[in-house]
Amino acid sequence: MTLEAEYKRLHSDVLCPLAERLESLLRDYLSDAQRIDRITTRAKGIDRFLAKALKFEGDKLKYADPLGEIQDQIGARIVTFYVSDIKAVADIVLTYFRPIEEKLIIPESESEFGYVGKHFILFLPLDVLDEEITADRAPKVFELQIKTLFQHAWSEANHDLGYKADSPLSSDQKRRIAFTAAQAWGADHIFDSLHAETIKTA
Amino acid sequence: MTRYMPIQAIHSYLVHPRPVDGTPIPIGGATIAHAGRLFEMLDGIYQKSDDECNIDISFNHNEMGTQQNDCRDLLIRYTRDPTVSHGRDIAERLQAVTTNRSGLGLLFTIVGTEGREHKLVVSRFPADSGILAEEDDQSLSVEFLEKVFMKSATSYKAAVYRGTSISSHFWDGMAVDKQINSGVLTISNYWIKEFLASDFKTTSAAGTRRLAIALRTALRKTEDLSIKEQLTAAARLASNQHGRTTSISSFSRNVGLSNEAQERLKQQLPSESLFTERFTFSRDEFVKHVAFQSVELDNGGILMADASDFDEVFHTEPLDGDRKRFITQGRIVNLKLKSGRT
Repeated sequence: MTLEAEYKRLHSDVLCPLAERLESLLRDYLSDAQRIDRITTRAKGIDRFLAKALKFEGDKLKYADPLGEIQDQIGARIVTFYVSDIKAVADIVLTYFRPIEEKLIIPESESEFGYVGKHFILFLPLDVLDEEITADRAPKVFELQIKTLFQHAWSEANHDLGYKADSPLSSDQKRRIAFTAAQAWGADHIFDSLHAETIKTA
Repeated sequence: MTRYMPIQAIHSYLVHPRPVDGTPIPIGGATIAHAGRLFEMLDGIYQKSDDECNIDISFNHNEMGTQQNDCRDLLIRYTRDPTVSHGRDIAERLQAVTTNRSGLGLLFTIVGTEGREHKLVVSRFPADSGILAEEDDQSLSVEFLEKVFMKSATSYKAAVYRGTSISSHFWDGMAVDKQINSGVLTISNYWIKEFLASDFKTTSAAGTRRLAIALRTALRKTEDLSIKEQLTAAARLASNQHGRTTSISSFSRNVGLSNEAQERLKQQLPSESLFTERFTFSRDEFVKHVAFQSVELDNGGILMADASDFDEVFHTEPLDGDRKRFITQGRIVNLKLKSGRT
């Protein structure tokens, strides 16, 4: 069976139902959390999986066993209102899930603006498995991202532009994208300080 | 399910406790031949490790939050290239966390492969003293043995890892630690937390929540009053389990649930394997989900109190048949009207 056929079957029989169950579990775990705009999960699309599986690192394929090694076959995203909500949500997530990776992605230099987000690689909880979808059919881990509304909006638009572009973005286009990232960053910080101020005065 | 995986290499190391001044004691190490009675015993341990190791564990990421763990690095290097020297690095790590309380131990590292899957077993036998008695037709000779290593029922420890890709798998495994519920923290943390730099794969909150919800659902679904009574008693006794390593199965046994009540509890779980999944019980998490116990009487009365205090708040006197009298006293602090029964 080809990798594409194997992933297609996994996608429909295992990943999609698991993503749905994971979303429901996340909603339960976070039912008392404040200012969550949305919780979504998805099974990685077939095209995107294949594109990742066929990536090269030097002259070798990056993944020798893509089905066993690609860790975001199931992805979850929690979108919060404010920057300070991210930590509160992350703390709840870590009481229920075991991480093998946990990182805050920010641009490398202080003068750069771009992708920002809190990312985790977490073990898939056994609660989403059953007698039909057993542990040996399911991925061991999934990716969870926690973002603010502005980080979410920026990364969606940025991903769409990058994914659809026929040719590499020009320097001016990259500068304009960085400008929108800076605006999203600024909006996040102003809303967060306004939120802190209104709590103090409430 | 146990699958046979031919053993590729076995090494053994005598691991002394770390001296108080921190100077490591040199560790030699030996390669175990693939024949003889010792090999047969170790082969048995290797084959049975999948059943014997019943605690799901996973490595911790490093302080930077990236996918790296010092102990895992040593284990995967040994699995890739099982030499005395690579195994010694594992033994040295064990010595670095071994105190006099943990004592002298004999470490075995066993690697095998089957098809594309690799398997690693690390196993520690504690030292004990013993007596060797040998008898022939004429006499009995008795000899004191200072260092005897036994697969002790009270302090044996092991861990097993499996995976097709050594670099990306081997993040989780199964362990056995007969001292995990020791009241002494240095003993209970020694094998999984300190040596393996790991923790239970099921967090305390996730495991406790699963138990609490299973109890609550089983109670709601069952019509049998005797099972309802057992389940509510279990909820009341749950607080005593705080901080203990348990599973829904051991919890059920500890609180004396009948087989039928245990079965009802098991039926509420998405899969049977969750019944034996180990976690550390958390009182705080439990009361988030099972805070109150209520009793409804056939005269329309409803009694409600904190689940853990119900028996202290309402004293019960048996009357004729299945009738009971509840007695309580206190000062009225609030009055409520509710819209409906939920």
